[in-house]
Amino acid sequence: MTTTKELWENALVELELSISKPNFNTWFKDTHIVRVEDGSVFLGVPSQFARDWLSTKFHKDIVRSLRMLSDSVRNVEYVISRGQKRAQEEPRTIPPPPTELALEPVHQKTSLNPRFMFSSLVVGPFNELAHAAAQAVVRKPGIAYNPLLIYGPTGLGKTHLIQAIGNHFRMQAPDRKVYYVTSERFSMDYVSALQAGKVQSFKEKYRQYDLLIMDDVQFLAGRDKIKEEFFHLFNYLHDGNKQLVFSSDQHPNVIQGLEDRLKSRFNAGMIVSVTPPDHQSRLAIVRTKAAMHNFVLPDEVMEFLATTIEGNVRELEGALNTLMIQFEMRGEPLTINDVKTLLRGSNAAAKKAVSVQEVVKTIANFYGVEEVSIYEKTRRKEVVRPRQVIMFLLREDFRISFPTIGDKLGGRDHTTVIHSCEKIKNDLRSDSVLSNELHQIRLMLK
Amino acid sequence: MKFETTTESLAQAVATASRFAERRANLPVLGCVLITAEGSRITLRATNLECGVEIVVPAKVTTEGTVAAPAGVLSGFLNNSKGKSVTVSLVGEVLKVEGERANASIKTIPHEDFPILPRVSAETSFTIKASDLVRAIRSVAYCASLSAVKPELQSVLVYGDAGKLTTVATDSFRLAEKQMALKSGGSIPQLLVPARNAAELMRVLETVKGDIEIYYNDNQLSTQADAIYYTSRLLDGAFPNYRQILPKEFSTEALVLREDMSSALKSLSIFADKFAQVSLAIDPEKKSLFLSSRNPDVGEQISTVKATIQGDGVAVSFNGRYLADSLQSIVGDSVRLHSNGAGKPMLIKDASDDSFLYLAMPMNR
Repeated sequence: MTTTKELWENALVELELSISKPNFNTWFKDTHIVRVEDGSVFLGVPSQFARDWLSTKFHKDIVRSLRMLSDSVRNVEYVISRGQKRAQEEPRTIPPPPTELALEPVHQKTSLNPRFMFSSLVVGPFNELAHAAAQAVVRKPGIAYNPLLIYGPTGLGKTHLIQAIGNHFRMQAPDRKVYYVTSERFSMDYVSALQAGKVQSFKEKYRQYDLLIMDDVQFLAGRDKIKEEFFHLFNYLHDGNKQLVFSSDQHPNVIQGLEDRLKSRFNAGMIVSVTPPDHQSRLAIVRTKAAMHNFVLPDEVMEFLATTIEGNVRELEGALNTLMIQFEMRGEPLTINDVKTLLRGSNAAAKKAVSVQEVVKTIANFYGVEEVSIYEKTRRKEVVRPRQVIMFLLREDFRISFPTIGDKLGGRDHTTVIHSCEKIKNDLRSDSVLSNELHQIRLMLK
Repeated sequence: MKFETTTESLAQAVATASRFAERRANLPVLGCVLITAEGSRITLRATNLECGVEIVVPAKVTTEGTVAAPAGVLSGFLNNSKGKSVTVSLVGEVLKVEGERANASIKTIPHEDFPILPRVSAETSFTIKASDLVRAIRSVAYCASLSAVKPELQSVLVYGDAGKLTTVATDSFRLAEKQMALKSGGSIPQLLVPARNAAELMRVLETVKGDIEIYYNDNQLSTQADAIYYTSRLLDGAFPNYRQILPKEFSTEALVLREDMSSALKSLSIFADKFAQVSLAIDPEKKSLFLSSRNPDVGEQISTVKATIQGDGVAVSFNGRYLADSLQSIVGDSVRLHSNGAGKPMLIKDASDDSFLYLAMPMNR
């Protein structure tokens, strides 16, 4: 259910397209939905001028755009009210209770995602330092570590950490201004401000914040004009003791195309890294994430997830999501085998790079046949089966194309490969021995 | 569209209308005067969405039509054109204005975007002598605040009861209130007319003789004065309850001649500092009012004004301009100053007329 505010904002986006800009700016400024009642939308307008003109000239457009967004809209009525400003300010003075934050989509003013809190972050040796630094920043913004830069490979919770700083800062001081922006968004903002000739308002917009959080600053590298703008913004905020928080995928010193003046500025604050989590932390992450969604998993399944999916927290979450959806669809608890079958096809299992030769070697060894015979044109039963299994695995787990598989395995036609894959797939359904064998082979290939 | 009319009436109507046009509007058509030729007259309209005006001018219309022409250009040209009559015609998108000695072609703007002027139904209204309303507004309008922080103070409060119309304006440093007799429509709720619009209303009514009827509702006020229809937005807000801050009793009362006070304040302003501070000392024994101002860069001045004094002696400082402002609304020959001592506001009244009062806040330093 969208709020009336969102409904009107979306309608305005539609209207802006169909009405000339001067007209739009003149007549739709300060309009808002007062209330919705029995399909009638009561639109608050600032004056009788606006009321008379909107209802004669733009009524059709308004009704159409509202109907497009909400079928229940029958009619639009216009009332003169200037209460909008006050209405907007009120919610800001009362900080929303933390329990409600989870229901909120991205916060409009700050573009922070309220889901990212310190409480939902799993702290382990891999991110302990970053976590401590982030909390210090919340306690003493602008003083403790300024700027704070968190770097590390993708999917390790950098965004989570820096957004948590923003969310906590916002709760702590609702009247202070926080803004979260990705460097990409920042660049786009700048470019569009440049095109519209509104660089000044761009500057003003960014310079008003007490806490500015910028994600993925490495993307600033190589964009000279934007880097320069960023540099000035950095200096302005830093001089004003405003807190700056950044994330990057590399240490700033090794980012290509970043000038020394920027590097040294990053270095002036605190630079902390997050590393891929160890096994214990991964287990803890699985637990927390599962608990967060009230999802009960047997210990062995958690253990399995923590063991098989290494390095990346995001993939861990992805795997967990897959399991949750499956669970919801089936309506019965998942066993460890279910989990293994489910995750086998996913990226998590296929990400290891293994050469075709290795696969052939492993499987030939497994079945006790000679490696060379796999490549030969023999149709001996003891060779055919392993060969089919090889083809199947190459296809299913490593996503190699049918012609390539045929080519690699002694110049066979791709239809042969297709047939083999189909055969194994069919057999798997009834043949538990085969399924077991495949499972073992897969473990060996890891 | 084509019509012919007298230069003077058209020039005057366009000049009036162009005051209502918005020069820096987002919408270009708001910087225009909309001219509609119909029947045996033309109608000029202009609005800045705060207030609007509609003026009817008799004309010989050959072809009916509507056009929107930039207000500044049109009024500038007509103000300087000579001769008795002027012919205006629309050729394509160009408005041709032909006077006796000069012809102009003015680029027009599509008129479809020109808004309609709000009409106020005749249900609630009051009647007053036009010149009285002008005086009521003029007596207080200069006190309205210039800052947009409190929009309700940027307006002139108009209300009425017991056959009297009261106008009030304040910027929280001084306050002026004026009362005038109403012809009809005894009880009027508090109407907040934006000060800028009130000034325009005053100018429109200046030339009107006799009574006018003012229509109002919650959001809009309008009037028809001869050939001019005027309408203004009303502010939605609560004017401070100023009655409760008006002191009822005073420890000192001084009666001075308006002329003396006025000339003293004028010359004091030369020596006033950047806060325009004027110190005022009421001395009952010397039967005088001592006014002084001092600017370290210029020098200082002390003026003595003869006064009839009752009560205790008082020494208090004011912004000299605020004191001088009050005198412009006082028509009688003497002024009564009421004070409650240092740090307290001073009430200024016309000694011979109870309908006007002015309250000035003292300066702290």
